[in-house]
Amino acid sequence: MGITIRQATINDIQAMQNANLQNLPENYLLKYYMYHILSWPQASFVATTYDTIDIEDDEEHEVDNYVDSENGDNKFEDKVQEVEDPKGDPAYIAKGEKIIGYVLGKMEDDPEAADKTPHGHITSLSVMRTYRRMGLAEKLMRQSLYAMTESFKAEYVSLNVRKSNRAAIHLYRDSLNFEVTSIEKSYYQDGEDAYAMKLMLDLDALLPSKAQKGEVDDFTCDLLA
Amino acid sequence: MAGKKGTPIFSSREDANFREALKLFDSKQYKKALKLVEANLKKNSSHSESIALKGCCYYHTGNQDEAEAYILKAVQKSPENYLVDHLAGIYYRSVENYEEAAKWLKQSNDNGSPNKPILRDLSFMQTQIRDYKNLKDSRQQYLENQPGFRANWTGVAVALHLNKEYSNAVSTLVKIEGIIKDYLTEADRYEQSECVLYKNSIIAESGDISKALETLESDKDEIRDGLSFLEYKAKYLLMLGKNQEASVEYRKLLQRNPDNVGYYNLLEVSLGSISKPIDTRIKLYNRLSKFYPKSDPPKFLPLTFVPGSHESFKDLAKAYILPQLRRGVPATFVNVKPLYKNHKKLKAIESIVLEFFENDIKQLDPTVFVWTKYFLAQHYLYLNDLKSASTHIDDAINHSPTLVELYIIKAKILKHQKEYIKASEIMNEGRELDLQDRFINTKATKYYFRANKVDEAIECISLFTKIEDGSVNGNKDLHLMQANWALVETAEAYTRLYHEYQSKLSELKESEESNEEVEKELGENIELYRGLALKRYNWIIKIFKTYYNDQYDFHSYCMRRGTPRDYIETLKWEDKIHTTPIYIRVLKGLSNIYFELYNEQLLAKAEEEDDSSATKKQKNKKQKKVKAQANKKRSELIAKVEAEKDDTDPLGQKVVSDLLDSDIIESLFVLIKPLIDEGKDLRLTWEVLFKIYLIQGKYVLALQAIKNLNRILSRNEPIKLASIGTRVIELSDTLAKDNNVNVAIAKVVEKGINSAFPEFEQLSKSEFLQIYSK
Repeated sequence: MGITIRQATINDIQAMQNANLQNLPENYLLKYYMYHILSWPQASFVATTYDTIDIEDDEEHEVDNYVDSENGDNKFEDKVQEVEDPKGDPAYIAKGEKIIGYVLGKMEDDPEAADKTPHGHITSLSVMRTYRRMGLAEKLMRQSLYAMTESFKAEYVSLNVRKSNRAAIHLYRDSLNFEVTSIEKSYYQDGEDAYAMKLMLDLDALLPSKAQKGEVDDFTCDLLA
Repeated sequence: MAGKKGTPIFSSREDANFREALKLFDSKQYKKALKLVEANLKKNSSHSESIALKGCCYYHTGNQDEAEAYILKAVQKSPENYLVDHLAGIYYRSVENYEEAAKWLKQSNDNGSPNKPILRDLSFMQTQIRDYKNLKDSRQQYLENQPGFRANWTGVAVALHLNKEYSNAVSTLVKIEGIIKDYLTEADRYEQSECVLYKNSIIAESGDISKALETLESDKDEIRDGLSFLEYKAKYLLMLGKNQEASVEYRKLLQRNPDNVGYYNLLEVSLGSISKPIDTRIKLYNRLSKFYPKSDPPKFLPLTFVPGSHESFKDLAKAYILPQLRRGVPATFVNVKPLYKNHKKLKAIESIVLEFFENDIKQLDPTVFVWTKYFLAQHYLYLNDLKSASTHIDDAINHSPTLVELYIIKAKILKHQKEYIKASEIMNEGRELDLQDRFINTKATKYYFRANKVDEAIECISLFTKIEDGSVNGNKDLHLMQANWALVETAEAYTRLYHEYQSKLSELKESEESNEEVEKELGENIELYRGLALKRYNWIIKIFKTYYNDQYDFHSYCMRRGTPRDYIETLKWEDKIHTTPIYIRVLKGLSNIYFELYNEQLLAKAEEEDDSSATKKQKNKKQKKVKAQANKKRSELIAKVEAEKDDTDPLGQKVVSDLLDSDIIESLFVLIKPLIDEGKDLRLTWEVLFKIYLIQGKYVLALQAIKNLNRILSRNEPIKLASIGTRVIELSDTLAKDNNVNVAIAKVVEKGINSAFPEFEQLSKSEFLQIYSK
């Protein structure tokens, strides 16, 4: 399934809530997702599959009517395939379009907060286990960081991570250059400590494609030449 | 002002007391307010304002059931008293009856209330009930009262926009931009950017793309959201046929986000490359992947448009698949799965992976062996070759018995063999390998549900939910946190369970050896699980009501925050929230149960007519049994299944009995009704409505439902489907059997059938069904 990364919209939030419930122990009511989208619409992103592209059918061969169903009745059918309503799987937001990862970002909006410089915060980030090792979490983060710097003039971003979550710590510290600022004792419901982490933001350096270290498009060369 | 129609006169002692009570009410001191009001009513029992306020206080002090009676009494006594009207509005808002709330708030304003915030509240109610026509007036009137806040201008623009008065909406936004221009502070800049973009989106929506583009450019310095700026600009250029310029903007967008497949597609549209030779397109993507070597789309997209027979396909596919297998990307198979719709591509990919496995695997890291086996297992599972699939996954597990992902596929294969219990055991083995990971916990939970092991499922998921003090599991947390996926799985498992007990019971009844004891137990289990299934389904219905009501606060918030673009999207999203796939799944499950209950009720009625005294006796006996069941086991059960703390109906018995006391079919109609607008293109909508209308004797509507179903199922092509033919016959037969039907209506329906399905008139029923057999 092709994978695409784009800004999250209100249409995504039920599937984001679902991904969060399936992946992480810290869960939120739907209204909290609404609050994010309607306060900082630029700061959240999703990774989705897409299956809507027309696949080139280059021969006479009849495309098999293959029913992929979660209920175990996979079969090839001779009959006209009946139109089915979308799958009742809460990960899907449209046919073939399934949310496999998300980053929920915000700006610090606590009026009591000591630090008044505008800064962002990552509320939640997760990628479905079966879609790991493709760098999706890092890509989602880079989009969110760039957008919060650009739209909200965030000077830095903060987040909390479980002390035991090695993969996440690797991502934040090694891939994205976050620094640990403090340890928050018993930050999580179950008593685990959190690292508080922070990254200073610089718009130009954060341009997401820069991390790929590819050739740079000058926008003038003829792509079809 | 005294003596003017509908104006309350504060003259008496009661009025002074009332004002005091109102203040207390406003500061949420409901008990104190109630005391004062009651003292007032002792002296003057017909003081309408006090009666109304008593109703409002009652709502907040635990007398919800009695509150409305006071409101109704007060508005009946003094419908033109704006204070009474206002209080009625406040009451109905607290019970989330926004229709009534809007009505009374409007009345209060019309009756001369000097309280202008009423207009603001009214506008929230009107938006909530989508009364956009009147919304315009209230937003406008409120703006006139409070023109010093940008939010109120935005509110008017939104109302105009919702009425499709594009130019008025734009000029409202332009006007406030002009007024505020010289006073903007840094803190206002985000709102400014959003409102400027909102204005721009309305101009575009009105169809004037050149104007939108021109305005976008001249507003450039006001805009902070660079992504929207580029996306709008690129889209406008494309719409205006300025393709070359558009292509530059899409290249800029790719530099921002090279993982967004939409930009690649639109870049191709602007370059006009889709109609160019395949090799030109391959070269284009080759170029793009040099710019963005870590992005998926430039590598994947060529696989979709290059034909399987093209000489490059295999090389391109290899370059996409093999590095992923080497890196151990779990989703490698899922990534290429859409290509399998094309048989040649499927075969090419199969040979790539098999050759890789044959020739290269020995020289590579052993983990590559495992991931390749993992790929092949999924490949054969797709082909429904379950034997090969099992062999490959077992090889992988033998090699790496601690790799969680492998167990997911093994369990999936077993599930396809309908070995649900075994599948759940395997998934649980996988879970035990990584107790920290909720994803695998979710999978194990789901597989327990599919095996109808509800207790095991809940116990499993409870490792990751909050568990309140005194609770035996996390079931209540699932309800509280809107874990719809788990709730729907629970409901479906309970449904399967009670169906199992039902078929056991009917088997037993048909066999010679009837056993009262066993029958009784089966009957109890049927009742229990059906109640629980209904209870879970209903909870999701309730969650969706919350989802709908969640928008309420944003009618005010988004105007102040300055996010009107996403606010408009939110309204549209709420307008079709009942077509969310999981909600449809719930309605499907619920309607099956409703129809079952209805049929049972019919049967029971027929029996009752047969021998009324005997069945009555049985009923009494039944109730006694239920009482006798109230023992320790029962309270243990309740502790496990309670949906909330102090659940008054933990087993769903009240849900069932309420349903049986109601008109079941009408209750079902109420649930399905939103889909008539929102879910026109869903088959469930018309399948269920057909059955409802048939039962209700609404034959014209039933025919309409068949026609709608036919439109969806046949995709507007002239396919003659069995599912349509049988429904036509069913309608015609039911109509013929109905002695009470109006003759004129019967004629209309017959005529309607004949014109929609001409063969029906010409052929016999069996011949008709032979034609409608696809």
